[in-house]
Amino acid sequence: MDALVDVRDMKKIYNPGENEVHALDGVSLQITRGEFVAIIGQSGSGKSTLMNMLGCLDVPTSGEYYLDGRDVSGLGDDELSTIRNEEIGFIFQGFNLIPNLTALENVELPLIYRKVPAAKRHELAVESLKKVGLENRMDHKPAEMSGGQQQRVAIARALAAKPPVILADEPTGNLDSKSSIEIMRILKELHEDGRTVILITHDNGIAESAKRIIRIMDGKIEADYINQNVQEYGGAKKA
Amino acid sequence: MSQFLEYIKMAFANIRANKGRSFLTMLGIIIGISSVIMVISLGNGAKNVITESMAGIGAGQIAMYSSDDTGSYQITSDDIDAIREQVDGIKGVLAQDSASGSMKTSKGEFTVSGIGTMPDVQYFDKTGIERGRYFNEREYLSGQPVAVISEEDAIRLFGSTNVVGMDLDITFYDSTITFTIIGVQKPQDSSMMSFVYEDSPVQVTFPITVFEQIYGTQVDSFYMVYMLAEEDADTYRITSEVSNLMERRHQCKGEDIYQFENFSDYMSIVNTVVNMVTVFVSLVAAISLVVGGIGVMNIMLVSVTERTREIGIRKALGAKTGSILVQFLSESAIITLIGGLIGIVCGIGGAYLISGIVGIVNPSLNFAPAISIPAIVTASLFSCGIGIFFGIYPAKKAAKMSPIEALRRM
Ligand SMILES: Nc1ncnc2c1ncn2[C@@H]1O[C@H](COP(=O)(O)OP(=O)(O)OP(=O)(O)O)[C@@H](O)[C@H]1O
Ligand SMILES: [Mg+2]
Repeated sequence: MDALVDVRDMKKIYNPGENEVHALDGVSLQITRGEFVAIIGQSGSGKSTLMNMLGCLDVPTSGEYYLDGRDVSGLGDDELSTIRNEEIGFIFQGFNLIPNLTALENVELPLIYRKVPAAKRHELAVESLKKVGLENRMDHKPAEMSGGQQQRVAIARALAAKPPVILADEPTGNLDSKSSIEIMRILKELHEDGRTVILITHDNGIAESAKRIIRIMDGKIEADYINQNVQEYGGAKKA
Repeated sequence: MSQFLEYIKMAFANIRANKGRSFLTMLGIIIGISSVIMVISLGNGAKNVITESMAGIGAGQIAMYSSDDTGSYQITSDDIDAIREQVDGIKGVLAQDSASGSMKTSKGEFTVSGIGTMPDVQYFDKTGIERGRYFNEREYLSGQPVAVISEEDAIRLFGSTNVVGMDLDITFYDSTITFTIIGVQKPQDSSMMSFVYEDSPVQVTFPITVFEQIYGTQVDSFYMVYMLAEEDADTYRITSEVSNLMERRHQCKGEDIYQFENFSDYMSIVNTVVNMVTVFVSLVAAISLVVGGIGVMNIMLVSVTERTREIGIRKALGAKTGSILVQFLSESAIITLIGGLIGIVCGIGGAYLISGIVGIVNPSLNFAPAISIPAIVTASLFSCGIGIFFGIYPAKKAAKMSPIEALRRM
């Protein structure tokens, strides 16, 4: 089966010339459709940089990147916008909701940019908010919701356009443990629904809920293994 | 198209979310547009009043004067008859002479401005006769002392307008003549052109032949005569035909002794002056529009900086450069358009307010502002244009942001 994500010898050098930072130093990895992968590593190891590359938010200094069979390394800004819109659902550590907009409007955003007609858009957004259990908070602005609820809105937004890849960068980084458990439960459900979930974290406990774990260090992949002992996040704590 | 509407909706949502700031941004545009609209409305209103009242008095009038001061080329009564008979399209011709005199009634003593003229005066008077009539050819030829006065003067002299048939004993120099009133003129409808004040002389119009009784000789030659063209006649043709006729009769071909002044020339001069004043004042007001536009640009730049993160999010979710550009451009265009519309309303209101105040302070200058639809349409388009023009720089700045840079900034 073809890889959904296929990265070959990717490098990212910040500040080329003086003060060079080799944030990614020859990363190669393949992720197949339907996988649940955790990328872990210490602070500064290059996780967010990798996520930006996988999410087409930034372009690598060198290397190849095939997303869903398509070479995206040489694309321009607007083409990358289209790829992000169609292929990727982002979940950020800082939620990144637009404060002026209600939960529903935030979830509709990627659909607007995909040119989905208003009625269909509304339907998809409501469906998506229901999936994260926020059907009764649709008209709330982000400031009127708890951190966990905001992150669920962000997940709904990532789901609404039904992208093949869900990219989550420290999705529980700003949340208390109860909310974190809730978020992880949703991500697990998404995976069980057949979506490809790539989860970035520095927390081993969280990484344990993924089927595959990729450990990076100093911009290189240090380990890439199947997690024999998948644990539901929070389950261990209860025991 | 529907996509474009989405961006407009986003722009509206953001304007609504920042009501106070949006209004302050609009303020410069409101002031600029309202002053332009106000100046144009007042200018056009004044122009209409001037044009109407002057056209009422003088449309179709042509004055001819002899530029020779030796007196040998004066215009005679025979010339006048010849013009009337030989030139087509002339409704009336007259010459007049005036003398001041005095009279007494039960209401007091008055100075009189006596105007001796010809029967055609009835055509020149656009306001018309309220009671009675003007004098006729027979009364003119026989030098009958019959008089026409204005309604205001009738009230001043007798306290009534019902004065036809009454007598006026007017003393010119040393001779007193008893005039019989045969007509009362309607009051002039345009308040701007009537300057009747307490001590102004009573105007009495009568056949010029009456002067024979005062001076002892006939008044038969004039420096100036007035002609009135028929409504659809070409005043330039009349002018040249009269000029030829006069030069033939006085054997002065090509010497340009007889000069003409066409009333429409005056009108266009007056209009040009009013237009120039309006344009000049509008330009001054338009400067505030430019200042307003720069204000819009400033606020939009601040807004772009503040919303860097929002831009980053939108881009991460798939917004293209063009989408962000259109969103921010629509925002500034909508702000200035709304500002422009408020400005138009304020400008119209302001114009009525000012003309109202002027009317209270000086009732003789009373006039209504003229609201011009083209000015309103232009102002709306212009304000929208200002929004787009001054919005381009901030919008481009927003649109060009890289999503990763924008997201990194907190
Ligand atoms: N825009 C940038 N300019 C220069 N250096 C950068 C930039 N972004 C990241 N880096 C550097 O690249 C390296 C990798 O950073 P990255 O953000 O990918 O780490 P991370 O693994 O996500 O860390 P954390 O767990 O703290 O989020 C770091 O050394 C960082 O200092
Ligand atoms: Mg990071």
